[in-house]
Amino acid sequence: MRVRFRGISVLLLLLVSSIAIDALAQDVESDRLHDGKLLAQQAAMSSLKGDDSFILRESWWNGTIVPGAAKLIQQQLFKRNEYQFWFAVPGREAVASISIYNSAGELVESEEVSFEESNVASTVVRPDSTGIYYLRIALTRKTEADEDWAVIYGWR
Amino acid sequence: MKRFGYILVVVAVGIGSGAFAQDGKAPEKIDLSDGSMIVVDDTVIPLPLEIFASLDKLGQQNWGAVVGNRDVKRFPDRSRSALLFGLIVSDGFIAVQAKDSEAVKRIGRDVMDIAQALAVAPQVAKHANAVVLSADKEDWPSVRLELDRTRQTVLDHMRRNRDGEMAKLVSLGGWLGGTKALASILRGNYSAEGSDLLNQPDLVRRLKKDFEALSADAKEGQLFVKVEKTLQTLEDLMKPNRSGAISEKNVGQISSETDELVDAIYES
Repeated sequence: MRVRFRGISVLLLLLVSSIAIDALAQDVESDRLHDGKLLAQQAAMSSLKGDDSFILRESWWNGTIVPGAAKLIQQQLFKRNEYQFWFAVPGREAVASISIYNSAGELVESEEVSFEESNVASTVVRPDSTGIYYLRIALTRKTEADEDWAVIYGWR
Repeated sequence: MKRFGYILVVVAVGIGSGAFAQDGKAPEKIDLSDGSMIVVDDTVIPLPLEIFASLDKLGQQNWGAVVGNRDVKRFPDRSRSALLFGLIVSDGFIAVQAKDSEAVKRIGRDVMDIAQALAVAPQVAKHANAVVLSADKEDWPSVRLELDRTRQTVLDHMRRNRDGEMAKLVSLGGWLGGTKALASILRGNYSAEGSDLLNQPDLVRRLKKDFEALSADAKEGQLFVKVEKTLQTLEDLMKPNRSGAISEKNVGQISSETDELVDAIYES
């Protein structure tokens, strides 16, 4: 009886361990560094310091982009705030571009922030009204492969 | 680690023409109705603090008046718990805005309580503890950061564990809590200029679409009938007038609608 009980206990322990290891593996998988996000965060560093710095959101967007193509990201922005977006892909040959449109699809005036690295792009926008805006990200020069992209943003 | 070469501070974007591929400039206009446009299917809900910061630029507001102080019950219904989790984190942001350290500490403990009900306590513990410790020191930037991490950690954990429906409800609860506080402040101190912050019908439409896509199991019961009805009502109420403002009457109704729904989530 005791042996049987111990056997069941061992099985139960193995089952629980297996579930725990599985959960841990999933967490590790998702916590792997995203190259695009890392590049975007590095680029953002200088805007996150000082008294009037941007406040970086933990939320971010990512995906895969085909060279020469563009994607749109919808985001609600609020008048009187200022927003900075950073878009990055790992491929050094890629030329990243970012621009902002209002809900009518019209280009909104924004300030481009440039870096030595062409695979990182950033822009600052002060929306003149509250509402939905469209962030347009694109790779303007063809690279050999699709790129994993990341977009982060901050506000002040 | 390679340091970034930051060579040019600001270059004004000219009004460009043509496509990126040809001349490197953004097109002046894009056709949003073009079905071939690839829109990223991921809604990022604005933080309450993002919205409150804009309102504060119009003058000091009495955020302390809208800090919640409710007893949080645990419910067996995960969907309700997910909404509640979003609401509680949102209350945390309101307490940060009001610089109310006691409220933040209470909310930090409530967050852990509901995290247990949602089986995300191990993921949340580190951040919830940091919220309480930072509130004790009145280190508001750290409290804000850890609240944002709490929320994002739960969303990430839910999504990677195929619990995306619950993640959507957490986001909805967070948006609702911030909107309730904003509408309440504006109702007490209406200004046409400030009311434009409630100009969110497109965002509500997106939230409504996400909600409608949930499985029947995830939105079972009268509470979720009320959620759907309230979202529809809010979408109508948040449409701005010609000057971009939301009328005082509509602001009052938005405040009442969000109050009622938050009450229903806490009480039912």
